[in-house]
Amino acid sequence: MIETHSLSKVYSRGLYALRDLTITVNKAEFVFLTGPSGAGKSTFLRLLLLQERPTEGEVVVNGHNLAALSRREVQEYRRGLGFVFQDFKLIPSRTVLENISFVPEVLGVPAAQQRRRAFQVLKWVGLQHRMNAYPHDLSGGEQQRIAIARALVNDPSLLIADEPTGNLDPDLSLEIMNLLREINAGGTTVLVATHDRELIRLVGRRTVTLDQGRVVEVG
Amino acid sequence: MRAIEYAVRQGAASVWRSRGSGAFAVVAIALAMLVLGALLLLTWNAEQVLARWTSAAEFSVYLADEATSEQRGAIEAAIDRSAATAGREFVSKAEALVRFRSEFAELAALAEDFDDNPFPASIEVRVEPGVDRDGSVDALVRGVAPLPGVADVRYDREWIGRIGAALGTFRAAGLAFAALMAIVAAVTVAAVVRLGLDARRDELEIMELVGAPLSYIRGPFVAEGLLQGGVGAVVALVALGAGFLVARGLWGADLAALLDGESLRFLPVRLWAYLVFGGMAVGSVGGLLASLRAG
Repeated sequence: MIETHSLSKVYSRGLYALRDLTITVNKAEFVFLTGPSGAGKSTFLRLLLLQERPTEGEVVVNGHNLAALSRREVQEYRRGLGFVFQDFKLIPSRTVLENISFVPEVLGVPAAQQRRRAFQVLKWVGLQHRMNAYPHDLSGGEQQRIAIARALVNDPSLLIADEPTGNLDPDLSLEIMNLLREINAGGTTVLVATHDRELIRLVGRRTVTLDQGRVVEVG
Repeated sequence: MRAIEYAVRQGAASVWRSRGSGAFAVVAIALAMLVLGALLLLTWNAEQVLARWTSAAEFSVYLADEATSEQRGAIEAAIDRSAATAGREFVSKAEALVRFRSEFAELAALAEDFDDNPFPASIEVRVEPGVDRDGSVDALVRGVAPLPGVADVRYDREWIGRIGAALGTFRAAGLAFAALMAIVAAVTVAAVVRLGLDARRDELEIMELVGAPLSYIRGPFVAEGLLQGGVGAVVALVALGAGFLVARGLWGADLAALLDGESLRFLPVRLWAYLVFGGMAVGSVGGLLASLRAG
């Protein structure tokens, strides 16, 4: 599913965010990416999302070298991804249902289909009763569940989560992780960046540990 | 089609959301379109008058007093051979005097003092509309002037040409000024749209991350500019119409005298459409400029 070969990302003044990274994530696998702040976790995810380009090496997803994708191919590639961020990134002016249906809407899906699919995933995360609420009316846990529903609405083959529990208390964190495990059980590859060692221990999946941009442990 | 519908819907929502700052953009476009509209109004009316003068073109061939009937026949035959000729009329010396007395009644007493009739006989030639442009009238005049029995040929179209050239210069200067104002308007629209764009950074980031097509990302900003441009142009048209009514009410008679007896007319619907589309185009360019920062 995901392969990186000698991947490096250098920022200005020769600062390495990632150095010679070679990682493989298999299809339908659930992998934690962990390490201290500044280890390169978020940089790795940004490279996967094509928000940034590598300085050296390559990222191959489903056999496609991401560096070789044209603008249109990048759009196609991203349509097969789901993403969840620590700060949820919900649109405050839209209701819960609109936040979710926003994704199919901007991909040109017909209106009736947008709302049907949005409602399905909203029901799946158990928040259908909040469909007309606005993000500011929701708790942090609820907002993250909405963000997960939004990530799922497009039926992605790869779900990328960057510190998805960073703003949540331990109980809610476990709840979110259980949702991600369920998604993974459905065949979606899940890659979660977190520095929460306790959560990793509780969920118990393969873990890639980074430090100063290098892989220091795989277990 | 869905992309256009989405762009227009989101653009309209954004216009409403940012109506405070959007008013600056609308005013900027309205001013640019008002200048352009006023320019069009003036030049269009002037062109109508010029066109009438041009289409009513005729020239006079004055005959020498000693011209024989054979010479007159040769002159008329030369006139009739030209494709530029629409018709001709012979005016005898006596008819010329009668015309003078009726057209210049206040000078009629002067004519009483003449021992002889000083007015020459002439042939008045009406030319086909539009032929003065291809030079055939000039050729006819040049051909007739040297014929025996011709005293003079009067075909003074230069003044129309001079007015036309002056009008062209005025129009070019006005267009340059309107273009400058349009650029300022487009920049203003871009600045206003950019404010909305910055407020929607998160939304745009999500759109990019989910692989939304560029038309969905940039389209709403272009539509926002287009709508602001359209509103601005309509405001300009209304202001121009109001100004036109006031001007006609205050100086209608003077303007009619200036326009050769014709009253000042408002722009035809075709030019309204040009103005509105022009405003929309300026707004779209502004929106497009702003949208280059998105996606």
